[in-house]
Amino acid sequence: MMNPTTQDLRSARSGSWRRGPALLVTALCLFAGAVQAAGSGPVVRLFPTTVLEDIRETGQVAEDMENNLQQIIHRLDMQQQLYSESLCEGADGDQGCERIAKQLGSTYLEMLEVMSDRLPEMERAVNSTRSSLEKRLRQELGQRTTPTSLQNTLLGEAGTVAASQEDQPALRGRSGVRLSDRFKQYYDLVSTSKNGPSQSLAVVAADIYLDMEEASQLIAFTQQEISRAALMEQLNQSFGMITPEMSAVVGGVKEILFGESTMESPIASPPYAIGETEFVSPLAM
Amino acid sequence: MLRHAKLLLAVPVLALAAACTTTDPDYCAVNVRGDLEDAMRTVETKLGSGCEYHFDGYFQSLLALAESNPDKNNRRHFSDHLMRVQDMGVISRRQAEGLYNRYFNVKFVSLQGDYNTCSQTCPIRKQVMSDMQAELHDKELGLMRASNDAASFYRADHLLKETDLVLEATCRACQAGDAR
Repeated sequence: MMNPTTQDLRSARSGSWRRGPALLVTALCLFAGAVQAAGSGPVVRLFPTTVLEDIRETGQVAEDMENNLQQIIHRLDMQQQLYSESLCEGADGDQGCERIAKQLGSTYLEMLEVMSDRLPEMERAVNSTRSSLEKRLRQELGQRTTPTSLQNTLLGEAGTVAASQEDQPALRGRSGVRLSDRFKQYYDLVSTSKNGPSQSLAVVAADIYLDMEEASQLIAFTQQEISRAALMEQLNQSFGMITPEMSAVVGGVKEILFGESTMESPIASPPYAIGETEFVSPLAM
Repeated sequence: MLRHAKLLLAVPVLALAAACTTTDPDYCAVNVRGDLEDAMRTVETKLGSGCEYHFDGYFQSLLALAESNPDKNNRRHFSDHLMRVQDMGVISRRQAEGLYNRYFNVKFVSLQGDYNTCSQTCPIRKQVMSDMQAELHDKELGLMRASNDAASFYRADHLLKETDLVLEATCRACQAGDAR
């Protein structure tokens, strides 16, 4: 098996972790709407209680991991700042700088250890969500839906309410929010949402599933990387070096947990004039 | 006797001449311009008098005319035109539906079928997506440029993106199920 590069990890992170939680919020919101709409026409059941429970649990695990890492990452930031402000870069042989570098390396190792402890649980939670969604997608959209009905579902004909665009949460592209906060939002939405459109449920489920797949791969890569990075850092401790790789890994962890990254463009929402009477051709599908 | 023979010879010659007249390219040529409905009527007259094989060309010319004069009612005009042409027997109902939906409906004719998604669409997902992409270009012409209906075009564009995402996830889930 090929060893993943830091670039792989960073691109994987930006693809999955940032988007996944936002989608889960949407999913839970839409789920509530779907429940309300049940009983009128065929219902695509993509979010049964088991899937919701998996999502809730994944949020809890994310929060635990966040709590454990927050303090360490803050310390790393301070040490990095000190190193930079002390003009230590390129200052070979300076004893003060070497000491800061060793402290930084030691904190970095501490972060890797915490991640190493927490990642298996995160992996289990993510895989569980992925697996349950995979089953629902296969059954509901793969086996019980034809291409024609899938198209109708996506256009919202399976639902009963054509909600205005403002009611529909944007899919993907949200950042700058803590991972655990996002999951809390999802759960709050489930318990308090009064109504919501159901037409995007399939899209939301698909998006979460793909994100969970990427997340699962990312966790596996990260676990491999941690072992390698820990070994490298133990060696570096002898020389007191700060590598670009260290900065990249710390940056990636911050991105995952605290949403400190640039946003991706969300899918554009179509401008839809409400209240207009549309011409319906007898030839229309 | 000789007069009768001449007459018998003259009939097929005249018939042949008449046939040549109706298949003459100049005869079927239509300068599609002006009012769209009038142009459609002209085209229909030609289609009813031996120029059936020019239907595709006429249709494209009518689309170009509509593009020059975009209007929300144009899709209705095309629907009526296709219905009339179908009634004339120039095209089938399926062809009429296919053309109308390809250019003037948000839904994609490229994504249709009666079997389940796992078995019908997933094995040819890339081809389906490629066909839908090509169809979106036609919808851009029909919906946006000819009918001045940007909202419907954006819905089609959105539907294409959503379909891509949903099919990717669903087909992966189908594949994972097959692997077990």
